Amino acid sequence: MKKTTAAAFFGTLIVCYIFWLLITGQIVSIFTGDASWQILVAGGIVSIIVSLFAARFFIHKKAFHLYNPIRFFLLLFYCIIIFGWELIKANVSMAIRAFGSTKNLKPGFVKIPTKLKSDYALAMLSNSITLTPGTITMDVVEQDGENYLYVHCIDAEKEDMEKAGKDIKGAMEPWIRRIWE
Amino acid sequence: MRIVIDILIVLSILFALAGVVGIIRMPDAYTRMQSSTNVSTFGVLGVLIAGILYSIIYLGDVSMAIKLAVLIVFYLITSPIAGHAIARAAYRSKTPKTPQTIVDKYGEDLEDE
Repeated sequence: MKKTTAAAFFGTLIVCYIFWLLITGQIVSIFTGDASWQILVAGGIVSIIVSLFAARFFIHKKAFHLYNPIRFFLLLFYCIIIFGWELIKANVSMAIRAFGSTKNLKPGFVKIPTKLKSDYALAMLSNSITLTPGTITMDVVEQDGENYLYVHCIDAEKEDMEKAGKDIKGAMEPWIRRIWE
Repeated sequence: MRIVIDILIVLSILFALAGVVGIIRMPDAYTRMQSSTNVSTFGVLGVLIAGILYSIIYLGDVSMAIKLAVLIVFYLITSPIAGHAIARAAYRSKTPKTPQTIVDKYGEDLEDE
């Protein structure tokens, strides 16, 4: 089991406290000037306890990676614009397929290569692929230093690994690499 | 502004309907799961975004809108993980595939191990 480092502890503490402010609605009260100090202090205590236990699972290296404002805005931009556009395209084509004929479906399990290395980047790529209708990530493996994803794809026309990968990942992979690496 | 909120809700209901119809009509477990992501993305996100707009514009309650936005974040993080787990468990417990399946790289690589 990994040990909790101080950087990981403070990184987790900040995330916890921000979420406390968001879900108790205090972040609005701070701006209007009627924040209750009891809620703020209680949130601090709860955040400290939680991050003491959870920091070693939450952050493994580079604790303040996402606190860089450029990276954070890249993340927001990716989630809203790039990923949103992929979602719209995939949702419409999947909805048409649901009402259309199911006789000429060509589902298949394909294996696609990826250049991403870090854990968070791989998790984000496979979650993005799963959230897009029409593709589900089933497994991630590492072979000879390269990472591969097994994806169940409802329209696996392309036998070629690289081409199928380009089709499934779309514009998502370069953006995720920009955010996490 | 009200019309935008109504359109969002109607659209997400349409996508949820498409997802449910797909779940009934698709041939095997994996393609049914593909169809169910239709419900779990646009079906949910459309209603939540409409809720954010409604609570800002008509209720004037920004903290409610922030709670809904946090809900979107947690939803987007957690729901695909259930998707991976179900698909992988279905494959490993040898759930039958439809004969239309054209490639199966995962099965080939599992046999090699």
